[in-house]
Amino acid sequence: MATHHVILVREWDAQHTGSGCCGRVGGGVELCDGDEFARSRTEMERVGGIYQALHAAFGDQLDLTVVDPRNTMWLLPTVYRAARRRGLRRTAALRTMARSTANGAVVLDGKVLFDGKLPPSPVEAVAAVRAELTTTAGGA
Amino acid sequence: MPAVVIALLVAVAFFLGYRFYSPYLANKVYALQESFVTPAHEFRDGIDFVPTNKHVLFGHHFTSVAGAAPIVGPAIAVVWGWGPALAWVVLGTIFASGAHDFGSIVVSVRNKAQNIGTLTQTVINPRSRTLFLLIIFFLVTLVNAVFAIVIANLFMANPAVVIPIVLEIPIAIIVGQIIYRQRTAALAPSIVGVVLLYASIPLGRAFPIEIDGFAEMVGVQPRTAWVVLLFLYAGLASRIPVWILLQPRDYINSHQLFIALGAILLGIIIGMNEIVAPMLNRDLPPDTPNWFPFLFVTIACGAISGFHSLVASGTTSKQLDKETDARYVGYMGSLGEGSLAVGAILATTAGIAIVGLDWNTQYATFGDAAGGAVGNFVQGVAGFVSNFGIPVEIGTIFAALVVISFAATTMDSGVRLQRYIFQEIGEIAGIRVLKENLNLVTVVAVIVPLLLALDPELAFGRLWTLFGTTNQLTAGLALAVIAVWVLTRKRNPLAQIIPLAFLLTMTTWALFVQLGDLWAARDWLLLILDAVIFILAVWLIVEAVLALRRAQAAKQEAPAPEPDRSGGQE
Repeated sequence: MATHHVILVREWDAQHTGSGCCGRVGGGVELCDGDEFARSRTEMERVGGIYQALHAAFGDQLDLTVVDPRNTMWLLPTVYRAARRRGLRRTAALRTMARSTANGAVVLDGKVLFDGKLPPSPVEAVAAVRAELTTTAGGA
Repeated sequence: MPAVVIALLVAVAFFLGYRFYSPYLANKVYALQESFVTPAHEFRDGIDFVPTNKHVLFGHHFTSVAGAAPIVGPAIAVVWGWGPALAWVVLGTIFASGAHDFGSIVVSVRNKAQNIGTLTQTVINPRSRTLFLLIIFFLVTLVNAVFAIVIANLFMANPAVVIPIVLEIPIAIIVGQIIYRQRTAALAPSIVGVVLLYASIPLGRAFPIEIDGFAEMVGVQPRTAWVVLLFLYAGLASRIPVWILLQPRDYINSHQLFIALGAILLGIIIGMNEIVAPMLNRDLPPDTPNWFPFLFVTIACGAISGFHSLVASGTTSKQLDKETDARYVGYMGSLGEGSLAVGAILATTAGIAIVGLDWNTQYATFGDAAGGAVGNFVQGVAGFVSNFGIPVEIGTIFAALVVISFAATTMDSGVRLQRYIFQEIGEIAGIRVLKENLNLVTVVAVIVPLLLALDPELAFGRLWTLFGTTNQLTAGLALAVIAVWVLTRKRNPLAQIIPLAFLLTMTTWALFVQLGDLWAARDWLLLILDAVIFILAVWLIVEAVLALRRAQAAKQEAPAPEPDRSGGQE
C-alpha cells in the first residue's frame, strides 16, 4: 500500500484542448507516427526513465502519478493540499503549487524536489526521494 | 422558463444516467473487472503506458474532447426549438455518447490499448480499415472547411476580436519560449498570457479590423478573403514545430476552457434569465429542413462524436489504472461534453435576449441560423457574463476569442492531420512526391478544404450537415466495433446496436434527402461529396450487419468465455 505520493509532471504528446472534437493529431489514428511531437516525446521518455527507476526502487511504497502541467484542475489543488499537510503556510503552499507546473518537475508529498530546470537523472531522482523519505519519516 | 431550471434538470438527468445507466453498461454489458490487468500495468513503461489516477485521467480526457464543435451544432439546431435540441443532447449523451466513449476505452483496454482504426481491422475486417481512413479523410476535410467559415464569420461580425486573436500568436510563442527554453513552471507565464490576451480586448475595440476594402480591391467577398487568409495561416502554422505555437497556445486555451465554462455557469445562475425561444418552433422558416432526421446530424459533437473514440482508444486506454475506472473517465467525459452543448443551447435561447437581440430575427431563416450560429452563441455568452458586471461589448469579444482560439487550434492540427492522410495516400498510390515533399503536401492539404469553403453555392448549413454525418459515421464505426466485441463475449449488445442503428438510419436518410436538395440547388461540389459520403454510409451499414451476423453465429457456436483476469488481447 502506497504511503507516499510522487507526482511527475510532463506533457502528453498529441494532447491538446479540443483535440478530440475535432482535429486530433498524433498516434491516435495511426496516421501520424511522424515526429510532430518529438520534443514532448523526448521529455516523456526522460520522465519515463525516472518513473521506472522510482517504481523499481520503491515499488508499492510510492504512489506514482504522471500528470500533464495543463491539467491544472487536478494538479494545483492536489499539490496545494499536500503542501499544507506538510505544514507550509498558505503563501509557501501557493508557491509550491505554482512551481509544480513545470515540465519535468518531481513532487513528493507536496514538496517540489526538482522544478524541471535541471532535469534529474533517474539515479538522482531516486536518491532525492530516498533522502526526503528518510528525513521526514524514516522511510525507504 | 428560466435557463437555470433547464441547467438543473439536465444536471439531474446526467446524474441519473451516471448513477443508473453507466453501472448497467459497466456490469452487464462490458462486465468490467477491477482485477483485470490493464495495458497500463501490463506494459507499464512510464512513457505511454502509465497507470493513472482516474481523476487525473478524466482531466486529460475531458480537455481533449471538449472544444468548439459542441457549440456550433446545438447553436444551429435550436432553430427547431430548444426542446428537440435539448432532448437529443441529453438522450444522446446518456444513451449514445456514454456507451460509445466508455465502450471505446473498454474495447481498446481489452485489446492491448489498440486504437479504433486498428480495432476496425481486427474486430470487423481488414476492409473496414480502408473505410475508416476514408471517413477520417472526409471528416478532417470538412472540419477544416467548417471551422474556417466559423472563424471568418466571427471576424466579420466582431472586427474587434481580430487584434486579440493576432496578438495571441506572439503571446503564445513567448509563453512557449519561457516554458520550453527556460524550463520555467507553466502556471505563471500561461496565466500572464491569458491576462495579456484579455488585456488586448480594449485595443481590439479601439482598432477593429475589417477587410472589406481589401476584399473589394481584390474583387472577392470579405468572407472569401478571410477564409483564404485563414487557410494561409493554417498552412504556415502547420509547418511550424508544435512546441513553437500549437502547444504553448494550448496552455492558454486550457485556462480559457475553464474560464469560459465557469463564466457561463455563473451567468446562468446569477441571471435567472428566461428562455425566449419556443420549446418547439411551429413557425419554422421555409428553408429549414425537417428536424427528423436533420436534428440528429446537425448536433453531432455534444450528443455523440466519433472523434472521441480516437482519444479514448489512442491515449486514454493506455493510462487506465483499473478497468472499472473506464466508467468514470469515459462516461463522465461524455457528460462534460454534453454540458458544453447544453451551455450552447441556453446561450442561444436565453442569453441572446439579455443583449437585446430578438430570437425570431436571429433565426428568421435556416441560413441565418446556420451562418449566425456561433455569433448567436457569442452574443448569448456575452449576455450571461453581463449578469455579473462584464460589459456586453467586452463579453462579446471574450466569447469570440475563446471560440476562435479553439477553432484555430483545430484548423492547425486539422491541416497537419490532413497532410498525414495525403502522405498515406501518396504511399499507397506510389506517388513519392506526395509522400516526401512536405511543402507540396501541405499545399494540397490546404487546397482541398479551401475549395470546399470557397464553394460559391455554399450554404453553411449543408456543409455543417455533411460534417455531422461523417462524424456520426465515425461514431457508427466505433459502435459497430464495440457491439461486435460485446456480442462475441455473449452479452447483450443492444446498448450499442440501438444507437448504431439510429445513427446510421439518420445519417443515410439525411444524406439521401440532401442529395435532392443539392441537385435542386445545383451545388455540384457538395452533391459529389454528399454522394461519396452516402456510399461510405451504405458501406458501413453492410460491414456492420455482416460483422454482427458473424459475431452472432460465432456466439451460438462457441462456449461461454471464462472471466479474463489477465491482461492482453482477447
